[in-house]
Amino acid sequence: MSAAALLELREVTKSYPGPVPVPVLSGTSLAIARGESVAIIGPSGCGKSTVLNLLGTLDLPDQGSITFEGRDLTMVSAKELAVFRNRQIGFIFQNHHLLPQCTALENVLLPTLADAKRAPADAEVRAKKLLDRVGLGARMDHLPGKLSGGERQRVAVVRALINQPALLLADEPTGALDRVSATGIGRLLVELNREEGVTLVVVTHSPELAGLMGRTVELRDGKFVNVH
Amino acid sequence: MFSHRLLAGRSLRHYFRAHLGVLAGAALAATVLIGALAVGDSVRGSLEERAKERLANGVVSVLSTGDRFFTPKMAELIAPHLGEPPNERPWREGHLYLERSRLGPVMAANALLLSGTITRQDGTARANRIQVIGVNPGETIGARTNYLPGPFLDFNNRQVWLNETLAAQLSANRGDEVVIRIHKPSALSRDAVISPRDETSVAMRLTVGGVVPGSYGGNLSLLAGQTSPLNAFVSLPGLADAAGLAGRANLVLAQTPGYVGDTNSIRSKATGWMFRHEWYRYPLGRVFIPRAPEVPASLATTFLNESLARTWTLADAELSVRAVAPDPKLTGGEPAPAFAELTTRRIFLEPAVVTAALTNATTSGGPGSTPAVDPVSAAAGQSKGAGATAPSPVPILTYLVNTLSHGDELAPYSMVTAAGAPYTPAGLRDDEIVVNEWLAKDLGVKPGDTVALGYYRVDAGTQLVERTNRFRVHSIVPMRGLHADRSLMPEFPGLTKAESTRDWDAGFDLVHPIRDADEAYWKQWRGTPKAFITLAAGQKMWANRFGELTAIRWFAGTDQAGQVRDGVAAKIRADLDPADVGLRFTDVRTPALAAAEGGTGKEFGGLMIGFSFFLITSALLLTAMLFSFSLGQRASETGILLAIGWEPRRVRTLLFREGFMVAALGTALGVVGGILYAKGVLWGLSTLWRDAVNGAGLGFHITAATLATGVGSSLFVAAATLWLVLRQQAKRPTRELLSEGAVEPGPVGADSGTRWPMRLAVGASVAALGMTAAAGAARSSDPGMFFGAGALLLIAGLLWVRAWLRGAVGPTARTGSASGRAARAPVGLTALAFRGLKRRPSRSLGTAALLASAAFLIIAVGANKLDADRDATQRGSGTGGFALWAESSLPVIQDLDTRKGQEFYGLDPKKLAGVSFVPFKVRDGDDASCLNLNKAQRPRLLGVKPELLARRGAFTFTGLAKDAGVTNGWDAIRAKPSAPGSEVQVIPAIADANSIQWALQKSLGDTLDYVDERGRPFKVRLVGAVANSVLQGNLVIDEAEFVKRFPSESGSRAFLIDVAAEVTRRNSADTDPPPHVGGHDGLSADLTRALQDTGLEITSAPKRLAMFNAVQNTYLDTFQMLGGLGLLLGSVGLGVVVLRNVFERRGELAVMQAVGFERAALQRFVLVEHAALLVLGLGVGTLAAGVAVLPALMSPGAQVPWASLAVTLLAVLLNGGLWTWLATRRALGGSLVGSLRAL
Repeated sequence: MSAAALLELREVTKSYPGPVPVPVLSGTSLAIARGESVAIIGPSGCGKSTVLNLLGTLDLPDQGSITFEGRDLTMVSAKELAVFRNRQIGFIFQNHHLLPQCTALENVLLPTLADAKRAPADAEVRAKKLLDRVGLGARMDHLPGKLSGGERQRVAVVRALINQPALLLADEPTGALDRVSATGIGRLLVELNREEGVTLVVVTHSPELAGLMGRTVELRDGKFVNVH
Repeated sequence: MFSHRLLAGRSLRHYFRAHLGVLAGAALAATVLIGALAVGDSVRGSLEERAKERLANGVVSVLSTGDRFFTPKMAELIAPHLGEPPNERPWREGHLYLERSRLGPVMAANALLLSGTITRQDGTARANRIQVIGVNPGETIGARTNYLPGPFLDFNNRQVWLNETLAAQLSANRGDEVVIRIHKPSALSRDAVISPRDETSVAMRLTVGGVVPGSYGGNLSLLAGQTSPLNAFVSLPGLADAAGLAGRANLVLAQTPGYVGDTNSIRSKATGWMFRHEWYRYPLGRVFIPRAPEVPASLATTFLNESLARTWTLADAELSVRAVAPDPKLTGGEPAPAFAELTTRRIFLEPAVVTAALTNATTSGGPGSTPAVDPVSAAAGQSKGAGATAPSPVPILTYLVNTLSHGDELAPYSMVTAAGAPYTPAGLRDDEIVVNEWLAKDLGVKPGDTVALGYYRVDAGTQLVERTNRFRVHSIVPMRGLHADRSLMPEFPGLTKAESTRDWDAGFDLVHPIRDADEAYWKQWRGTPKAFITLAAGQKMWANRFGELTAIRWFAGTDQAGQVRDGVAAKIRADLDPADVGLRFTDVRTPALAAAEGGTGKEFGGLMIGFSFFLITSALLLTAMLFSFSLGQRASETGILLAIGWEPRRVRTLLFREGFMVAALGTALGVVGGILYAKGVLWGLSTLWRDAVNGAGLGFHITAATLATGVGSSLFVAAATLWLVLRQQAKRPTRELLSEGAVEPGPVGADSGTRWPMRLAVGASVAALGMTAAAGAARSSDPGMFFGAGALLLIAGLLWVRAWLRGAVGPTARTGSASGRAARAPVGLTALAFRGLKRRPSRSLGTAALLASAAFLIIAVGANKLDADRDATQRGSGTGGFALWAESSLPVIQDLDTRKGQEFYGLDPKKLAGVSFVPFKVRDGDDASCLNLNKAQRPRLLGVKPELLARRGAFTFTGLAKDAGVTNGWDAIRAKPSAPGSEVQVIPAIADANSIQWALQKSLGDTLDYVDERGRPFKVRLVGAVANSVLQGNLVIDEAEFVKRFPSESGSRAFLIDVAAEVTRRNSADTDPPPHVGGHDGLSADLTRALQDTGLEITSAPKRLAMFNAVQNTYLDTFQMLGGLGLLLGSVGLGVVVLRNVFERRGELAVMQAVGFERAALQRFVLVEHAALLVLGLGVGTLAAGVAVLPALMSPGAQVPWASLAVTLLAVLLNGGLWTWLATRRALGGSLVGSLRAL
């Protein structure tokens, strides 16, 4: 394990079940340092999202290990993983997955309800501050249906940051956005990476977005190749 | 502050539309469950109300003596022994109070209850089998409510008050004239040869005084039944006079008047004051009148019997003890010794009375026994002084003989006394006879000659079995003194008061000519016996089921006879248990309430819940399906919550809470719905399906416990359903939820996960088949077995379907993948459609389950429908091959199969050629047919000569008790009862299988407790069951056993009438002259007319059977309604699934259209897929129902309505097909191409 790595995939293999199992990752390794911003690129179906799901503990590898700050996440119970995701990871998806019945502010606060006892007392203040920060101060009481695509994704970004996670995972965060909104989200992520000190891993097809990251790796034939 | 609660509230509002399905499903399940429970409560509650009403809302215990008549004084005599009367003056004369610290007040009212018929004076309306109840004018019958007194019938001897049902039947109003004909009770059973044949009934012309509502005791009845009796209330003195029973009654009603007549407490005084001021007339006033304490009926009965034991008199037992000093003028001028004599109005002294009178006494002519001190000797000794000899009792049996003859000489119709000394000399042998001078002279006999004695067997009824015995003349006694005692002749009705022998009504034709000498003898000597024989010889000839003695005499001096009389009376009072002569209070309230609790009413409620179970399951399946759809829509929400660190349990809890709130709201709606549903069913039961409850008015009742059970169960099952769906949803990986929504994975071959359901399916099938086989072997149609086997088969069938949908069975299972099949043949549209079914296995399974439940209900219910006309002329059918069933109000004494009997009633024997009767003696009891919703406690007993039915091979036996030991069913009741020495006698009985199962809730081999007319308990054992027959409601026992237990039940009151096939053909051919114009109707009319005084009512046997079948068929109609609702649910489910499936696959369908498929082809594609689902569901349901009802269908006498079943099944199929087609058209409407963009 690299000494400074926050997160590390080591010799991870993963295949999807079926009459004939479909291999996706074969002995893949990747180390990501704290505060780093990494873009994962690759052709469709190469397993980018699978990697992100593994990093986010939404899925488990068939073989190999995934460590976070030296702790092997494959050995952790589902309950602990839920707490881990809640405290340490923020997710951003191509589809914002906002709850349509909740306002922007409430959507942001959703992660704090996962464990209300541990939720920071100033969560709401922080949520408002972050929403202000992403330019949605005036729209925080709006339902998702009243927001534009870019605005919804910005709410999703703020939701990902509400618990001050160490790791932010974004799966095609700009995939469903127009160019202007996509650029705005890309810059926002980079700025937040810097301001919040959060490690950022982005899966994308977009060279522009990947170009904004500190490092870009390409997943090719189930293995990572450093691009720059 | 954002919180879980706020989130749940927001979600509830946002997904309101999606929740509507869950709401509706939960509401429907709760509606059906609470409704079914409420229907059960309502039936039970209504029956309980009826039970209380028929006991006039207050009667707790009765003394009912039937054909025995006590003195009305008895009730008054009981009073002082029951406790001090209340301080306050009773508010009506004649009311007596039982005051015990633990009891409320009980008052006793005398009544005379007789059966009869009633007709309007103008002849426009008639009612048979009515109860004519004589009550004292002004006397209260029961209590209107717990605190209101009953009616004060205020009428004179010329008035009659009718209950509502009878008034309605006669369309009678106040002031109308009616004629009531009552059965005139005879002191001697009508079955005794010497019982008079004329004047068995008497008519009373009366004016209707008014109508007594049921709530005021109008429906008073001692028999359990929910239909109102036909009651006519008349003045007790008037009725008693008309019936020749002046000063007598046969019923004491011990009642709670609801008035707290207690003593000095302020509360009681206040209550009394309020009562006197009639506060009870006003609703508000009633609030202040405390309810009378509930008198424990059993305790009241115990006290009443204790009091009765202390206060009854010999007159109440129809006994008489008198001191007689014969008038020498009537004994040939020579004084006869004085004596005390015990006799009975009933002519023959009953064994218990004889035992009480003779115990510890030395009888003359009887076996020697040691003298003992008893009241008789004590009384005698008192007057004679110490050392006096106690008088010995002389048992006497005097009877009318037809002939006393010697050679050609014959003396007709003479009394002969059988007794010991002093009437016969010591040492008289049993074949010797002592004749009086008159007879010796008349026959020309001297000692040593032989005299033939011809007589009719006493209890041979109208059959007149004549026997002859020969005696050697021992001696001749003079016509004076002891042997010229005319009082030796019992007071035979029809003879005693006759001035001339021509006025005799001996009960039989006087075939031997009566000579002038005989007439002269009657005028001078009346019934003075002409001959004397030993008691043993007399009893050998004349002992009968009514008794063996006609009198017991104790000879004493003239001055001691009175004391001996008192001693005898005291001894009998001390030694005779009044219950042995029918004087016994019986708790009527406890069994009445128990009857209301059980019976077919309870079964109806149980079956309603049983059948509702399938509907509830359907509603829950639909709920689960719709909830699953709702969750599917929110899959990404679930995914994101899991992704951002919510624990799965917390996510499930959130969604569960939300769903539960909806389900709770649905349940709340279900409470309202359930009440409305129950009221709807009750409305149906009082209108459309009134046959199911035999017209019983059912009111809505629901208890808090039922409501709590219904709500709790509804919530629980709804919660369980939601939880199961959530558990299923929770198995989806988060990434799938986020990326795809709640897409079920398609079948991946026969994986290990499908093995346990297969094992379960096999296990359930084996268990269900085992239950079915067991039920078949036991020839039982036990509903528990039916529901158990049905549910198991449904489960098994659906597990097979599940396995097929998941690919564990069928070609894909063998090849391991769909490609195996594809490799053999190109995939056609139909094959593609079948694969579509497997894409959403749970959804397809849910729909199949919905349809299977509905089909199960409809087919299972339909298979049990009965047709009364089917094979009605066959002996094995439910009619027994008989054409008619008849019942009379008053017994028919004559044998209708004989020319003499037919002519007696004015019937033309020629017209009755080919018509024969199977008479039944009847002991009234509870109706144990399905027409009675109450549980029959003591069903009506029918006594029949079993050979009459056996030789016809009538009815089909569904079973015989294992130890019946006979092959012909009817022989089973001829089997010998238990040994006479055993404590309680057991009599075999045969009953209708439905009566045994439903009304009695018994099985073959079980026994029922009865009490004979002398108060002795005996048991009736069910040894045989006949299939679905006109005998429903009764227990049939051997007539020989019947008359032993109920000697007073004379004649026959029920008949099966056989009409030979050629008669029927002749009728239909309309030959000239037809025996009966109009076929059986003509015969019915002739018989009804001829026997109208007996109140004969005739029904066609198939019609009677149809009436019983109507109950079962109407039950089934009610349950079929549940099946219909189930089908509606199934159809809705299928429709929803079609819409949902097509909606989800619009893109694919658009592609298919884009590549060249026509819209019609696509419609066919969707239709085939879902029609397959329809056939699958209906197939499983039909198969399960078919196997579950197999035992019932295979039982002897069962009928399978194949045609109606086929039509029903086709209708169900078409209905499902229609819904599928409509849903397909709707789903594929509009432009599909737009959906391509979503791909």
